[in-house]
Amino acid sequence: MLARSLISLMLISGAVSAQSLPRTTEGSPNLQGIWQVANRASYNIEDHVARHDMPAGRGVVDGGEIPYQAWALEQRNANFSARAAADPLSKCYLPGVPRMMYMEFPFHIFQTNDHVAITFEWQQVFRLIYANGEPPMYPGIEAWMGHSRGRWEGDVFVVDVTDHNDSTWFDAAGNFHSDAMQLTERYTMLDKDTIEYAVSIDDPQVFTRPWTMRMELHRQTKMDRILEYQCQAEVEEANGDFERDERVWYPAPIPDDNAPFDAAAGSPLPQLSVPAEVSRLADGTPDISGYYMADAGGANYGLEARERDFLMPASRGQVVDPPDGRLPYQTWAREESNDRALPHRGYDDPTAHCFVAGVPRSHYVPSPFFILQPPGYVVVLHERMSWRQIPLDGRAHLPDQMRLWQGDSVGRWIDDTLVVESKNFNGKAWLNEAGDVISHAQTVVETFTPTGADQVIYRATVADPIAYTRPWTIEMPFNSQDEELLEVACLEDNGDLQHLKDVRDEYRARQQEEN
Amino acid sequence: MNIAPDNKKRISNMKQQLALVSLVVGSVAVFMSASVLAHHSFAAEFDADRPIELTGTVTEMRWSNPHGWIYIDVEDEHGDVVNWALETRAANGLIRRGWRKDDLPAGTVLKVEGWQARNGSPTASVFSITFTDGKTLFAGTSNPAVPEN
Repeated sequence: MLARSLISLMLISGAVSAQSLPRTTEGSPNLQGIWQVANRASYNIEDHVARHDMPAGRGVVDGGEIPYQAWALEQRNANFSARAAADPLSKCYLPGVPRMMYMEFPFHIFQTNDHVAITFEWQQVFRLIYANGEPPMYPGIEAWMGHSRGRWEGDVFVVDVTDHNDSTWFDAAGNFHSDAMQLTERYTMLDKDTIEYAVSIDDPQVFTRPWTMRMELHRQTKMDRILEYQCQAEVEEANGDFERDERVWYPAPIPDDNAPFDAAAGSPLPQLSVPAEVSRLADGTPDISGYYMADAGGANYGLEARERDFLMPASRGQVVDPPDGRLPYQTWAREESNDRALPHRGYDDPTAHCFVAGVPRSHYVPSPFFILQPPGYVVVLHERMSWRQIPLDGRAHLPDQMRLWQGDSVGRWIDDTLVVESKNFNGKAWLNEAGDVISHAQTVVETFTPTGADQVIYRATVADPIAYTRPWTIEMPFNSQDEELLEVACLEDNGDLQHLKDVRDEYRARQQEEN
Repeated sequence: MNIAPDNKKRISNMKQQLALVSLVVGSVAVFMSASVLAHHSFAAEFDADRPIELTGTVTEMRWSNPHGWIYIDVEDEHGDVVNWALETRAANGLIRRGWRKDDLPAGTVLKVEGWQARNGSPTASVFSITFTDGKTLFAGTSNPAVPEN
């Protein structure tokens, strides 16, 4: 009798514990939220004592040691000795999976029925885990972050990660793998604020048997959004390769001789109508999720209409206000824009360095992007490895001194249009390759209006009193397709930058000679 | 051209490719708004005053983004072999059109026309890449101003 009571008590407490997990409306544990490890695995996944630049830490490998083949253990030891320069992360290259999961930066998990997205603070990296049961559209295409397909097995989210390259390490200690590696990740929610993250590594070219790492992810209950750490941009700002622009970077003041900014100027744009057949989420808001490519018409080469010029493509012009299609520049900013179009300034375009494109440029760089609508958010994943997460809960913007490449975005649905306001920019981005100017003072109001089953009309109104005399608006369609995102590892293969630097350096040397 | 159809999308893309191949090679008259993945100014990097025409043997292709790179060995007028780097469209765009890594093996002979980098290095933005039989590789090539032909 007592035993039976005990058993039923245990069953009840088990049931209570399982029930106390946050769950989605479909009943799966809800992993959504901001998470981070509290371990030193990113330094060394095995037990290790402290060294210069490496705090001591306990290992996360089941059984303690990684079962290397003899040659591979020698290789690991050689990697360890050469780690300062040999660690791919020392060049800000994509960390790969699983290393990305236990770096000392928080990440945000977003969850829908068909997808789980993970956005990382570190260099705006993201993972898009397809959980729709469909076979991959592009099997066998190798990537730094691999390719992730997930499924629920009971309350455990299981992800197969395949198609890795052999260029990433597990940690800063030189632990490595080959491109034959296959991973199986298991995300098990232990309570509402803890996930057990276990990852099994199978790589017969390097190890004698499969092995597993196991650690806890902790919910960051005091964080309401993750920020940015643009690894490569920080390196290049520190070493002088990416030069500060005092006129547009935060906290540049409005120039004394600027014309007054007419904040109220603006012509009404045609109302967009949302057809009845637009699909909707359970809460009635339009479903705009999926893969998109902007029909940008050359916006990345100029927002004003222009003809093709040698290798700079034409632009059909995207400015719909002012009605003349011209950007309402301050005089100095028009001159700066013209100067940036010269060959010796090509090096100054942040995207030539593979830095993130900013807003609104991220949408027309041109590369595709994927929109997700998890509860409370709209999330945009740009194939060129950057993300935007737009909370819909009416929160305030970050304090003014917090400045980001992508700015801080908050959104809301007004009728059937998603309206997103962004500010807190750092002013480091360009609007396009033609060098159209934008400063940290920009406020951007974007609207996303579904005008058909496969189309969203995008408008962005930019108010920037440093570079412009009044607000202006661009417009372009985003077209949805049945496609999957691939990976753009830009920095890792950026053969162009040195050429652009040579052109700039030669120009500067010539200028110096002439003076 | 080694075509190993491994999915439906790829086969239909290949059909498009083959249809395109039948167009006049080297024609750049048909302008299309191509969705290429430029991330830097081609006009800043390459020189309109340095047009080049090369024939060489593929040593490697890097399937990278936002641009791929084809490396070819080209014999110059002194009989010295120079390894040229040719900038192509983004690997992701090529993959979405059905091309795969094995499609351009080392040893393939290519003829290319384009513009050399301003810094004088053996690097080129190409507007036409053809096989020896005249068929077009990757529907032309590399930079956003040049249409897909």
